Amino acid sequence: MFERKPGPMKALTRQWQLQSMVIPGIIWMFIFCYIPMFWLMIGFMDYSIARPMLESPFVGFKHFEEFLSDDRFWRSIRNTLGMSSIKLLLGFPIPILFALLLNEIRNLRFKRTVQTISYLPHFIAWTIFGGIALNWLGEGGVVNQLMMALGLQDREILYNSDPKYFWWITYFTDTLKETGWSAIIYIAAIAGIDPGLYEAAELDGANRWQRMWHITVQSIRPTIAILFILAVAGILGSNFEQIFMLKNNMNMKMAESLDLYIYNMGLVSGRHSFSTAVLFARSIVALGLLLLANYTSKKLTNESIF
Amino acid sequence: MKRKLVKPRSAFILAACLMLSLAACTNSGNNETAPSSSPSSSSQPTESSTPSSSGEAAPNPDEPAWKLDTSPVELTWFVGANWYAHNWGESLTSKYVTEKTGVSVKIEVPSGEANEQMTLMMTSGQLPDLISMGSWETAVKKLWEGDHVYALNQLADQYDPYFYKVAGDGTLKWYKQPNGNTYGVPNDSYSPNLMHETGMTAANQTFLVRKDLYEEMGRPDLSTPEGFLGALQLLKDNYSKYKGQTMSPFFAQGNVPYGMTEYLQNLLAIPFEKDGKVYDRMTDPDYIKWLKTFRTAYERKLINVDFLVDSDTQVEEKTNNARYFMMIREWTGMTAVNPMLAASANPESYYIAVDGPQNAGGDSAKLFPGNMDGWMVTMISKSTKHPERAIRFLSYLASEEGQKDLFLGKEGETWDTVDGKPQLKADLVQLLETDIAKLEKDYGVLDTYWMMRNPVIVNQWRPEKAPVIKQMEDFANAQADIDSGIYKGLDPLGDSDVAVAWSRISQNWEEVLPELITAKDEAAFDKIWNGFLERRDSYGFDQVVAYRQAELDARKAKMAE
Repeated sequence: MFERKPGPMKALTRQWQLQSMVIPGIIWMFIFCYIPMFWLMIGFMDYSIARPMLESPFVGFKHFEEFLSDDRFWRSIRNTLGMSSIKLLLGFPIPILFALLLNEIRNLRFKRTVQTISYLPHFIAWTIFGGIALNWLGEGGVVNQLMMALGLQDREILYNSDPKYFWWITYFTDTLKETGWSAIIYIAAIAGIDPGLYEAAELDGANRWQRMWHITVQSIRPTIAILFILAVAGILGSNFEQIFMLKNNMNMKMAESLDLYIYNMGLVSGRHSFSTAVLFARSIVALGLLLLANYTSKKLTNESIF
Repeated sequence: MKRKLVKPRSAFILAACLMLSLAACTNSGNNETAPSSSPSSSSQPTESSTPSSSGEAAPNPDEPAWKLDTSPVELTWFVGANWYAHNWGESLTSKYVTEKTGVSVKIEVPSGEANEQMTLMMTSGQLPDLISMGSWETAVKKLWEGDHVYALNQLADQYDPYFYKVAGDGTLKWYKQPNGNTYGVPNDSYSPNLMHETGMTAANQTFLVRKDLYEEMGRPDLSTPEGFLGALQLLKDNYSKYKGQTMSPFFAQGNVPYGMTEYLQNLLAIPFEKDGKVYDRMTDPDYIKWLKTFRTAYERKLINVDFLVDSDTQVEEKTNNARYFMMIREWTGMTAVNPMLAASANPESYYIAVDGPQNAGGDSAKLFPGNMDGWMVTMISKSTKHPERAIRFLSYLASEEGQKDLFLGKEGETWDTVDGKPQLKADLVQLLETDIAKLEKDYGVLDTYWMMRNPVIVNQWRPEKAPVIKQMEDFANAQADIDSGIYKGLDPLGDSDVAVAWSRISQNWEEVLPELITAKDEAAFDKIWNGFLERRDSYGFDQVVAYRQAELDARKAKMAE
């Protein structure tokens, strides 16, 4: 650091080789994220794939009015918020806790084994994992056997037939499948902490809990904040494959999320305009949520995305 | 010093990145130009398409035109069924057909839903040469309307008039569009005349029970609510476990929209029309009475709701272990399981077709027969570079020769003529019973390549079915309502307002029926039922009724032609 701190433009020109590596990413994003925005127009049209887009008639807010006046749309909003809230409040801390606990394990081989095993389920597609989960939840499944062995219930319950269990099923199966994977980013952040900090704290007499709280947690706080902001922004999204696999006619009342609603009401009948309108509205709300979460986080913890 | 070390390496990575992104750009560029050029160039099949046919003499309507050109050509064939797992080129029949006609086929199946995949392909403008899709799929209509596929009659006029001889006059007429063109050939299409003639109706709806339990119970009458509930009670009292596992008393195929609605209504012989007017089968008193019977059965804990929630794998597992007692189920889905159960340690635990729920008049069931729509329709896309080979190939496959080549294979190798009749060799028949997967993979005979299967031609060559399958088939044939094919699929599909209304109604019904069955008493049942009827009206049921009426009238007019 013997040079003076260069200005942003100067830094950019000096690092041009490194900076230009981001160009493919930007091109990719432009093609797949920005250009498609042009087609958001079809949300305001009666579009049919059989004819060119610009020849489709404009219908204004017809599709928006249609879904806003549909009680099933509002039900799907409720379900999405319900499932996302459970995932956010009870599911978000779990990978953090897991990463913290894993970090305390001294035996390296054991640690690696646990980590590998815990993230393996992430690589099983929901179509498979959902099928396995349904077997666990079935009459002769492991859940029923466990509950009966523990004396918590006296006869078999068809867990996936009762709507009241559905949100919890999505929460538990998701946690089971994704915890190890989500923990990776925290583990990486923890690995980046200067070991000197721990040594100093140890000399000062901090016990393990104190070191965990005052050093590890504080050091990964920016990571936690960013992931939290993104999670809040995604609250109107849901895991379509998961819900699609686990839903059935009996739990539909609590299972139909916004994504599934779009699928059932839009894509199944080839109504692309309607689906686009719903997605468009969702994106606007998601943007609002993102800004809100970002602002709150900035005020409370001084961490923010922008 | 340090910076110099970094530079060459980073420059190299950079170059690699840029090359990748450039490659991505050129690729997408290709994709964008293709759709705009192909429809314009191929909308006139007359000029550009084929140099080889220009040198040939005008095709002879009495002679198959595929013989004119047997040079090797590859056609891609989209088969709109994601479970279809057969290849072309490995099995004996496919090799034989390729050798004979020069056409080798590359089969493509959708990774997910056929309809969605086809929609995607349409938007990208790149279609496989041949397309087979379920005739009910909305994408089929879009392919026709969007001018993505050739009119088969025009191709036939130009390249292969022999097509008219083999494609079956009736089916071509059935699929004729208002503009006078026909865009697809169906497979498994049955005309009422043919069914009357042969007694083969392709009816596959049956009510099945497990034979040993049913007979031990003394063949109870299942056709009345009382008898039905009584048999379930017997099952619960005496046979609630089988091989240590809980028995599932009841199953309905296709869940609410099929098994518990249309199919059950067919068993109850509820009419589709009364005095020329389309009848609202849902509100038929017999149907409601039986729904209430199911509710009572659930209240008494005689049935569970597993049949409404089980995944396909769970159903399969229960079926394979003979854990169902009664099933509203198509016999065609039992052709593998039944012989297996009959050969198991408990040889009487297979399923037989019996009379299931009946209406108050005790009429026997009126089952759907096969119909003119058939199962899948096969089309030739305008993206193909070889429209002449495609139409000739289709006309070959539709002809008796092609049907025989694909269904039986090569004479002397897979079949022989016995008493003037083609007959599959004994070892293959043996294989059919023991290892059908191997039979289809190695030989590719019988129902391996069903895309152009014409039951009128191939059924005469089928080997005799095992008795445990024949019983179900005969039962279904006897109860088929041959003239009811015209009522199949009257409901609106697609993205029109009336189709959306119908889709909202039927999706709501899928949620309502489980509520009805699990309602705590009759009063609750009635309340839910009335709620459904009100919702149905508010979603626009009157439009749906009008649509069905118009559709039915149009079909009748077509049949009369």
